[in-house]
This record gives sequence, structure tokens and C-alpha cells, in this order.
Amino acid sequence: MTSMENFQSKFIEEAADNINDLENALLLLEDNPEDAEIIERVFRAMHSLKGGGAMFGFAMLSDFTHHMENIYDQVREGNLKVTRDLLNITLDSVDLMKKLLDKDHIGTEDTVREYNSLISSMESILKIHAGNQDQAMRESINPAISKKEQKGLSTYYIHFIPGLDIMKNGTNPLYLIDELCSQGESLVISRIQNVPGLEEFDIEKCYTGWDMFLSTAGDINAVSDVFMFVEDECTLDIHKLSDSDLFEEESFIKKTEEYRSDDSEIVINDLMEFIGQLNKERLGKQLNTAKRKATNGKDNAITSIRVSSEKIDQLMNLVSEMVITQASLSLYTENTQNLDLQPIAESVQKLTRQLRDNAFSISLIPLESMMTRFQRLVRDLSDGLDKEIKFTAIGTETELDKTIIESLSDPLMHIFRNSVDHGIELPDLREERGKKRQGEIILKAFYSGANVIIKVTDDGAGIDPQNIRQKAIDKGIITSESILNHKELLNLLFIPGFSTAKAVTDVSGRGVGMDVVKRKISSIHGEVDIDSVAGEGTDITIKLPLTLSIIDGLLVRIAKSQYVIPLSMVDKIFAVEHTKLANAYNNLVELDGEQIPFYYLREEFEEEGEAPETEEVVVVKFEGVRVGLAIDSVVGEYQAVLKPLGKFYKNQETISGATILGDGSIALVLDTNKIINHFSNHNKIKEEIK
Amino acid sequence: MEKTILIVDDSESIREVVSFTLESEGFKVLVGVDGKDALKFLDGSNIDLIITDLHMPVMNGIELIREVRKMDDYSRIPILFLTTESQTAKKMEAKEAGATGWIIKPFVPAKLIAAINKVMR
Repeated sequence: MTSMENFQSKFIEEAADNINDLENALLLLEDNPEDAEIIERVFRAMHSLKGGGAMFGFAMLSDFTHHMENIYDQVREGNLKVTRDLLNITLDSVDLMKKLLDKDHIGTEDTVREYNSLISSMESILKIHAGNQDQAMRESINPAISKKEQKGLSTYYIHFIPGLDIMKNGTNPLYLIDELCSQGESLVISRIQNVPGLEEFDIEKCYTGWDMFLSTAGDINAVSDVFMFVEDECTLDIHKLSDSDLFEEESFIKKTEEYRSDDSEIVINDLMEFIGQLNKERLGKQLNTAKRKATNGKDNAITSIRVSSEKIDQLMNLVSEMVITQASLSLYTENTQNLDLQPIAESVQKLTRQLRDNAFSISLIPLESMMTRFQRLVRDLSDGLDKEIKFTAIGTETELDKTIIESLSDPLMHIFRNSVDHGIELPDLREERGKKRQGEIILKAFYSGANVIIKVTDDGAGIDPQNIRQKAIDKGIITSESILNHKELLNLLFIPGFSTAKAVTDVSGRGVGMDVVKRKISSIHGEVDIDSVAGEGTDITIKLPLTLSIIDGLLVRIAKSQYVIPLSMVDKIFAVEHTKLANAYNNLVELDGEQIPFYYLREEFEEEGEAPETEEVVVVKFEGVRVGLAIDSVVGEYQAVLKPLGKFYKNQETISGATILGDGSIALVLDTNKIINHFSNHNKIKEEIK
Repeated sequence: MEKTILIVDDSESIREVVSFTLESEGFKVLVGVDGKDALKFLDGSNIDLIITDLHMPVMNGIELIREVRKMDDYSRIPILFLTTESQTAKKMEAKEAGATGWIIKPFVPAKLIAAINKVMR
């Protein structure tokens, strides 16, 4: 790789981040169209894209971003409103920007066409806007403070007592007060103690005076200019109180309230003293935050580096090997009773554990990394279907293994599609049903033990179990006599080929149903559960392991072979006499006063030889019920580093992998869900043959 | 309601630029070429603001202001005059005569509107 290519690939990575950030900020902007901080973020991202694009040979990207910047310049100035149309164009632009980064798309006919059409859309927005601008200028001509300048606010105190005869030459003092107020935030206190009684009252005279506080971006000249026509005919005092917006200070507001209720005159010296004190306090606070920021900034500078995921995979592999080697060392030390080796083996064990935990946390990434995609998906889909949907994500800081996140994207996409397409109703219908027009989809993620739970909730139409039932009967999945409870009916959705959508739409597509979701989640050792109340909404809960490569397991022995059962599946372990198991009726054994179905693994795995007198039954959770697995004996807890089986074993279902034990022998890792499924089908077939 | 502004100036170009600006702002504009000419509009009909030059051959701005202030119908209407920065003395004289404010020449449309906004809504 030449150095230029190197720079380019770095830029592409950065730019992808920037585009992602831009997209994210734009979506936020939709809900907060006037938030200056978000607009700043939009700018920052565009700025980097424009500058970098030009430097690293992405001229089209740079040029395109320049056009976008023009648009958002007007937004920042407050001249252009963030409308849905505007956002649609910019989001399309973001999509195009992604293509402009991609070597396969740059310069293709499609890209160029899209490029030109978006540029002309943007130009037409600016043109329409230019027409409006004259009017906008007319409206804001006098205060002459554009939003851009509104950064450095100062606060002024203005004492204005017009001469008695000021109205004689056509002056209306109220216009002046108005003009002053239009320059910023203000507080006006009128002074009416000079207003005489009715007998002496002359309607052509002005008896009122005003005390005003104004925070404005203008300088003192702008303030005194207001009074330029009358300065010879009035008492006018203008004092700059502070180089900040004092209306943000509570104690200042309080002080002005005092002035307002108190008819006595404002003594400028007292006021200045008060402000001086206030400024001092504020400065102290600012200094502190500035200090804190400075130190934070320093920390931030070194907290993150970019590492290719390949390197992380390599690291994880090495750590796995290390864990295995360490297990051998511990075993050897124990067997030889070598006292010199023992402390070394122990510290290696400790370090390996720390190393393993550390390496794992590196490969964990927060769910947040895929939220933008979902937000966009929900937005675009609901737009296309004329639905109003708010998408909220809670707990997106929850971290999961990178590989899990990657495989999670598709099933989640599908769940969201379902919610938008079939779940949330059209706004009018929702209103009819007494719901808010805007539907809501909430994604909630949280830790639960060694698992992460992701829950997607919508407040849409829900699923009618009777519809499922009818459909299942139509499809021959169940018979009309079958009695199924609510949960069992909902679980039918996971059966391959089942889909309740009456019409095929381009959103949810055809043929891909919840069964695919379930299969994908299962492939990453997760579980998916659905719950729904017709008319109220649907909950889909996904339970996932934190990581795939190392599992906490229970090492068990059957004859001469050892197996690992994932600890997360294990509920309880019972010691049971062999005779009790051998004579069990219908493969049921009573444990804890409960009849539990069990599988006798010694038999199922076709192991030869005599069974021990006392055997053990490991009770595992299976689809909400408890199922026993009878084994010879439990060896103990074991950290299993999962290794894939060779390709010859790819098609079997019951074993999720193998692990190397400390003594170099191999233990198979059982996938209990699949084992139970497999045996139950197997036994049914056997019975039918009989 | 549409506001009526009377512009008085002997310079055709100034009259044109001022009336163009004001008309495009939606004001109704009346034009007088000098003080005397302007008086013909002050017949009791509605006028909301007068903008007058000070130097005019027949009846100058100061005289016009004094005349207007004597009329019952217009004694309280705002009057702006056009002047240049250097003419401080003239400014004082005009103010004393009863002018409300002034517009400094040369001006850009925004300045003109800003001055009008100070005295009329």
C-alpha cells in the first residue's frame, strides 16, 4: 500500500464515521430543528468531509458537501427552516455521500445521475429561499441582529426619563421602548410616580419614565442609537452591567423583581456593586468548569485508538489459546504436587483471567453503533406508509460482542419492519381507537446476568391470537381440535413459513417471517420471545449471551467422555439412583416434588458399559419448561473456550462446538435446546415406527 | 392599514430612490418637490409621516416643519429630515422647529426603514 492509499483508506474510515455522525445529527435535528448544538455538529461533520474529500482525491464528495454546507449555512443563520422536505433531501444526500466514498460507485452513471439531481434539488431550495430572504430582511431590518452575532451577549441598564414635551414633535416614546426590546431579552419597569392627578393632567405631556434591563448582542452604540432622536430631550443613562447575559442568573432576576415591586429609584452604584459581586462568582464557576474541561480534554485525547477488527480477532484467538495452556499448566501442577511451580501457576491463572476479561471488553461494542440505522429505517418506512412513528432507544450503551452485534442487525431490522408495517396503525385509525396519532416503537436494552436483553415494544395493533389460530389451521400446522393457550398460539409465529400479513408489501417482504428471526438469534445462542395483546401492542424480547467465544460451562462426564453444558442454561442438579431412572415411567422423574421429563444421555449417545449406581440429572430450562438431562457425574465448573468443529460436523445440530481441556483431551459443548428438540422428534419417530 | 408618507425633496434622484424604497415596503407615497409644493397635500387628508430635505429652493425644510407644526391636523405627526453628518447645527435647528428625527445622507434602504420604524408603526 502506498502512503497515499494509506491516507485514503484512513480518510474513508474517518469519513464513514463522519457521515454516520452527520446522519445521526440530522435525525436528531428532525425533532429539535432549532438546536444550535446539533446544527454545529452537522457542520463539523460536513466540514471534515469537505476538507478531507478535496485533499484525498474525493472531489465529488467534497464538491457535494460544499453544496450541502450552503444549505445549512442558511439554516444556521436562521434564514432557512428545517422542514421535512429539507431533511429528506439531506438524508438522500447522506446516502449519496456514502456512495461517493465507495470505489465501486464513484463515477458510475447512476451515481452521477443521483448527484446531479440532488444538486439541483438543493439549488432550488436555495433559490426559493433567496426569494424569501428579501422579506426576511424587511422584517428584521431594524434590530439588525442576526442570529449569528447573538453569541456574545452583554447586559445593559437603561434609565430613560423623557422630557415632558417629547411628544410635541411627533415622538412616541413607546416606539423607542419597543425598539429597544426587539434587540434582545429585556425587562422594562415603568416609573409613574411623576404622573399628576387628573386636574393637572395634560394629555400632550409625557409623565412616565422607564428603567430597562436589556441583554443584547449589540454594543452600547446600538443601544444608544435607539434614542438618537430624543437624547437632547430626555434624561438618559446607559450602563453596561456585564459582558454576559445576566438574565441567565437567578439572583439577577430576583434583584430586578425587587426593583419592580419597589418604587424607589435604582441607585446605579448599588446596582453596579451587586453586579460586580455576581460576575465574580460566575467567573469562579466558569474557571472551574474550564479547568475540568481542560483535564477531561486531555484524557479524551488518548482514550481511543482505531484498531482493525482482524487484529482483535487474532488477539481473541491468542487469549483463547492462552486460557487452554494455562489450564494445562494448572493441571500439571496439581498432578505433580510441585510446590515451586504452584505459586507460578496460580499467578499465571490470575493474569490469564484478567487478560481474558480485558481482551473481551475490547471486542464489546455498544448497541448504539447500529441505532442510527434503525432510526433511519423506522423513519423512512413510516414516511413511505404515511404513518407517524416515534422511535426511542433506551440503554444503547449496553455492550455486546462485535460478532453478535453483526448478526443481530438483520433480525432486528426485520422486527422493526414488522412493527412499522403491521404493528403501528395509520394515524386516523389510531385516533379512532383512542390512541395518540403518533405510534411509538421503543428499543430497550439491559444486562441480565451473563445475558443482554433487548426488548422491542410497539403500541400498535398487536397480534390477534385467533388470526394465528385460523391461519395455522389453514396451513395444516395445527388441527381445528388443537387446544393451544395464548403463548402457544403466539409461538406458532416462529414456525417456518408462517406469516400473518394478509398482503405482501415491499416493507416486510414475502416469505421471511419470524422463523428467520428466531433462526438467526439461535445461531448466536440467543433466544427470542414474543408477547402481544391484540389492540395494545407487541413485545419482542431477545436474550443474548454477552460473548460467543468463551462460555461458562458445567463439565460433566458420561462414560469416558466429557461434555460441557452452558451454565446459563442450568437450573438445578440432582443426584438420583440409577434404578429410579431406569424404571421411570414415560421418562418422567419426580424431582423437588415436580414431574420432570428427562433424557437419558448415556442411552441417547449410545455409550456402552455399566451405568454408575448414583447418577446425576442436570435440569435445564427449555422453552419455559424444565427438562432433565441424565449424566454419570458432574466434574465441575469450567470456562470453555469454544472451538468450531470441523466442516464434516457442520450439519449436525446438537453440538455447538468443542473445547480443549487442561489435559489436552476434548469435551463437546452441548446445545441443550437443540438436543432436547432433536431427541423429542427422534423419540416421536421411534414411537411411530413401533 | 396602509400608511401614507409624504416625501419632499428637490432632487429627483433622491425622490425616486426614497419613493421606490418606500413603495416596495408597502407604503403609499406622496411626493412634493419643495416645501411649498408639499403644502398642497396637507389639506386635512391622511398623512402618517413626512420626510423632507432641508435645502430646497422654495420654502426650505425648516420652514416647512414650522408650518406643519402650526396645523391642527398635523401638529403631532412624525417628521424626519434628510441631512448629512456634518450639519450638526442644522440638526439642532430642525429639531427646535419640531422635527422628530433625521436620516443621514447617503443612506441605504435599511437605514431609511430603521429610521421610519423609530417614529411610526
